[in-house]
Amino acid sequence: MNKLEIDWTRCDGHGLCAGLAPDEVLLDEWGFPVLRGREITAGELPDARRAVLACPALALRLSSR
Amino acid sequence: MITVEDTRVIGEARVLAGLDQNLQQHLLTHGPLPELSREDYVRLCEAVGLRGRGGAAFPVALKLQDLPARGVEAVVVNGSESEPVSRKDRLLLTRAPHLVLDGAVGLAHALRAPHVLIAVHDTAAATSLRQALMERDDHLAIEVLDTPGRFVAGEARAVLSALEGGVAVPPGRRVLPTRKGYHQRPTFLSNVETFAQLAVLARLGSRGFSSTGLISEPGTQLLTVDGAVRRPGVIETPTGVPLNTVLEYAGAEPGPVLLGGYHGRWLAQTDGVLLQRPEVSAGIVLALGSSTCPLGEVTRVAEWLRGQSAGQCGPCVFGLASLVDDFARLTVGDPQGWHDAHRHLGLIPGRGACAHPDGTARFLTSALEVFDDDVQLHLTGRGCGRPVLGVLGGTR
Repeated sequence: MNKLEIDWTRCDGHGLCAGLAPDEVLLDEWGFPVLRGREITAGELPDARRAVLACPALALRLSSR
Repeated sequence: MITVEDTRVIGEARVLAGLDQNLQQHLLTHGPLPELSREDYVRLCEAVGLRGRGGAAFPVALKLQDLPARGVEAVVVNGSESEPVSRKDRLLLTRAPHLVLDGAVGLAHALRAPHVLIAVHDTAAATSLRQALMERDDHLAIEVLDTPGRFVAGEARAVLSALEGGVAVPPGRRVLPTRKGYHQRPTFLSNVETFAQLAVLARLGSRGFSSTGLISEPGTQLLTVDGAVRRPGVIETPTGVPLNTVLEYAGAEPGPVLLGGYHGRWLAQTDGVLLQRPEVSAGIVLALGSSTCPLGEVTRVAEWLRGQSAGQCGPCVFGLASLVDDFARLTVGDPQGWHDAHRHLGLIPGRGACAHPDGTARFLTSALEVFDDDVQLHLTGRGCGRPVLGVLGGTR
């Protein structure tokens, strides 16, 4: 069970996550991510991991619960 | 403006029994505090379904059970009453400090917690507590600490951060104080009134405590009534009292009512509404009356709420600013403002470190529903012809 999570106090709206995991992350009109909140499937996991690693603010994480 | 002198009781006075008393008088009024074990407290709280009185209405028994068996570091009394219209916690701290201290100290002994911390942001409350502490000998490290007065600084984890000497803002990671609280150690934190109720519950026992109020949540509650009322103030009532009874008691003008404060919900009509948690939240009842412009009042509060954001989270900073702008445009009759407001209200909830954006969106969403007639009048471009009187306060 994997899900993307955002630490909103860190997120500065760089927007890289939306480019790297477009199926899960959209950007709102101010450039901040909107998560679909779905579970990340095994096939989407590489994209999601890349998005987490690319976040310049270290605000994105992949939680497994 | 409510002064703490305006206190009244519907039914039986419990937490408001014996105000302004020294320790001796306090003990004569309430009797000595029985020494209870942790299991006793859990059993009592479970039996009467006691819920936290700070707004979230979390069951106290569950919070107690979530604490580890050993190593509870502190009991924290959150007295940083940040809702601008709420007065109940300040009232208890300034005029019934011994009752609040009894609740906190009794629980700290039961949990074997070495520290009791009381966060306040009001000089009168701090003075009253320190004077009360001079009279007592509780064999605990009890500290009264001043925390900043911003709206989101009253959030539980923001208070803990302030107590540790940090900045009073909610942290980005969601951790429970019962697991990682004061100095990352297990902590029991609750609202001032919760501790006063615990002190009453410890003395009365579950049967005595349940002699009034609802079956599901017996006992009494403190309400702050303000707005377009003749007699504003703090009232102690049994839980589940009809809203209309309280409005009549306070001499409220007929009109819409805001239940639960600035993060609460507007009610279109008050018949049949019973005041209970979670709807009543921190116990704030605001009457709007009929001589002020509802949309103007709501916009005024929205502006205040925007200013109270800690500025940490993008969707809160930009979202609340956009909403204030949407409501301002809506008020002057721009239909695009109405559309933008609805879009932004859907975009903000759940996207912040604390519940400030969610609560603000809830308040504004219910306003658009309940004040639809007024909104339609404003959309004609001529407005509703009423001035904005500022009956909701919010300039503190």
